[in-house]
Amino acid sequence: MIKIKKSDFSTFITNLQKNYSVFAPVTDGKATAFKKIKSAEDINNKVLNTKRSPKEIFFPQSEVLFQYTEEGIKVPKREEKPFAIWGMRNCDTKSLLLLDKVFGEAHQMPKKDMYKDPYWKEKYDNCLVFNLACNKPLSTCFCNWFDGGPFNNTGSDIFVIENDENYIFEAVSDKGKKFLKEFKTAEQVSDKEIKKIEKLKETAESYLAEKEDISSLFSKTKEIWDETIWDEIAAKCINCGACAFVCPTCHCFDVSDEGKGKKGKRIRLWDSCMFAIFTKEASGHNPRSQSLQRVRQRVMHKYNYFMDNYDEHLCTGCGRCVVVCPVNLDIREVIKKIIRY
Amino acid sequence: MKNTYIPFQMKVKKIYTESPDRTLKTFDLSYLNKEDKFDFLPGQFCEFSILGKGESPFGIASSPTEEDILKFTVNRTGSVTNEIHYLQEDDIVGIRGPLGNWYPVEKFKGQDVVIIGGGFAFTTLRSLLIYMLDNRDDYGKITVIYGARNPDLFIYKDEIKEWEKRDDLTLHLTIDNPVKGWDKLTGFVPTVTKEVSLDPTSWCVVCGPPIMIKYTLPVLTELGFPDEKIYTSLERRMKCGIGKCGRCNIGSKYVCIDGPVFSYEEIKKIPEAL
Ligand SMILES: Cc1cc2nc3c(=O)[nH]c(=O)nc-3n(C[C@H](O)[C@H](O)[C@H](O)COP(=O)(O)OP(=O)(O)OC[C@H]3O[C@@H](n4cnc5c(N)ncnc54)[C@H](O)[C@@H]3O)c2cc1C
Ligand code: SF4
Ligand code: SF4
Ligand code: FES
Repeated sequence: MIKIKKSDFSTFITNLQKNYSVFAPVTDGKATAFKKIKSAEDINNKVLNTKRSPKEIFFPQSEVLFQYTEEGIKVPKREEKPFAIWGMRNCDTKSLLLLDKVFGEAHQMPKKDMYKDPYWKEKYDNCLVFNLACNKPLSTCFCNWFDGGPFNNTGSDIFVIENDENYIFEAVSDKGKKFLKEFKTAEQVSDKEIKKIEKLKETAESYLAEKEDISSLFSKTKEIWDETIWDEIAAKCINCGACAFVCPTCHCFDVSDEGKGKKGKRIRLWDSCMFAIFTKEASGHNPRSQSLQRVRQRVMHKYNYFMDNYDEHLCTGCGRCVVVCPVNLDIREVIKKIIRY
Repeated sequence: MKNTYIPFQMKVKKIYTESPDRTLKTFDLSYLNKEDKFDFLPGQFCEFSILGKGESPFGIASSPTEEDILKFTVNRTGSVTNEIHYLQEDDIVGIRGPLGNWYPVEKFKGQDVVIIGGGFAFTTLRSLLIYMLDNRDDYGKITVIYGARNPDLFIYKDEIKEWEKRDDLTLHLTIDNPVKGWDKLTGFVPTVTKEVSLDPTSWCVVCGPPIMIKYTLPVLTELGFPDEKIYTSLERRMKCGIGKCGRCNIGSKYVCIDGPVFSYEEIKKIPEAL
């Protein structure tokens, strides 16, 4: 483990910017989101869970797939520098692994290459992810239910712990190891400091609510398809889709064309299974016309279907949907209700 | 890395108006570039683009044995299908594919096959039928049940006339309600399926409007066809066609990559499939 002084943070970021486009939590008015920064001053290291999730770095709310003119189709050129993301929390770094399953591979298909999403891949594959430990989790955090945690580092390249004076760096992936090896100005971390990290971790974990045993969630969701529990769960939901938009693991999108005459572009935009039109076919037939069916879809996708395909839950317990829901539909309560049904 | 979102260009070679009300048209497309030509099997589909207007999925109606063209039959029903209907010969369109899985033609080898279709959903069934007829020796008895609301709404009418003449193919055509001058069967597809004495040791492929599929599958079970030998093609609203946009799922399966072809055995395990 190595460290830098907090007073050197600004220099660290400037150096990082030489080889990377650096993204970090930024406060814009009241809302926080991951944005490309100009300098270290832009960064808000205090925010734990940005209002918008960092998935938008790799999978923006709207993205041009291609432009077309009379001459043909052109895919927009990406900026050349790879991305470095500073200040992601474990619930978000883990979400990248989950999204990479969707965009990076496709379950069960023989000719895999055609099922890779080049727009995701070219940004994600070369990026460097700094996972900042959470010293003081929020009341809505429940990453521990999904085997994540304020001091876990899955999905990151470099794990960063903040104490009073320093940022302490620990390599997680090979990419992270390589980066830290070349990082000459850093100091080694003393044994005493390492011991203190244990203490920080214990304190952080003490802020989290009690861990729920979700081992039966998958099998339970399979059994309750036709049960009345869905009426109870869906009763409050107004299908606004806010949960899906802030969620770091929701990946549904719409594709639409914008253009006039022979010139225009095809773009993709975030979409949500919460909207009735999402599955409405031209004939008028809609397999998920009722709110209940759509709420069930979201819950089933997260805690059953994704497990079926990838052996993981499509949720990291970041709690964003809990915070943002206008009718206080708490996904933790939904999970508990299902497990206890 | 292949960018599957990018359509390649094809040229409209020939347009057929299939129904007098002009709601159904068939488009033969030819490749502009030889490198774009792809291998596929009956049952697969493509995303058909009109740049600026959008794209829509359509089953490939031509057989892989029909060289150098791709055929699609399009029901005019909304914004993209409208634009497709406005196309003229020599216009350029965008195609992405082949997408999805296919009817298990390998398993059909040496076996009897029953094809049951309804309305304009006969598209991929045409692909399958032509494919088997072009490889006739590979397959046993071929029986086709094809139903439409009225005689005008059959697609591929000229070809149907040819098929009727063949002695290596049994063809049952049916319409919903009696019409003057119609000398073939009358009645809904599920009823006809029950009546024409099918051999339940055959493989069976069913494709049509959701309601037809829903009522035909149980009839096949009644007749003694095992679930794993009954196949159907499902439809869901689609965008990406490659399992990313999340919209076409039935349970944990995506119709665009795990389907559109499913066996009845698989379908029974997915509560919202039918
Ligand atoms: C695998 C598959 C094969 C199909 N094969 C055929 C075929 O051979 N012939 C045919 O006429 N139709 C076929 N369809 C249905 C056809 O795709 C829709 O009728 C068409 O997309 C309607 O588009 P629209 O823009 O005219 O309608 P709008 O209602 O304006 O729809 C807007 C957009 O929604 C999506 N959409 C709407 N309805 C459907 C739907 N039923 N399925 C998929 N996406 C939809 C499309 O992206 C469409 O562009 C098939 C659908 C699927 C999924
Ligand atoms: S959910 Fe866990 S990882 Fe995410 S911010 Fe809260 S404590 Fe940190
Ligand atoms: S479902 Fe809610 S808690 Fe789970 S990852 Fe999405 S926003 Fe976070
Ligand atoms: S069409 Fe996008 S997931 Fe199937």
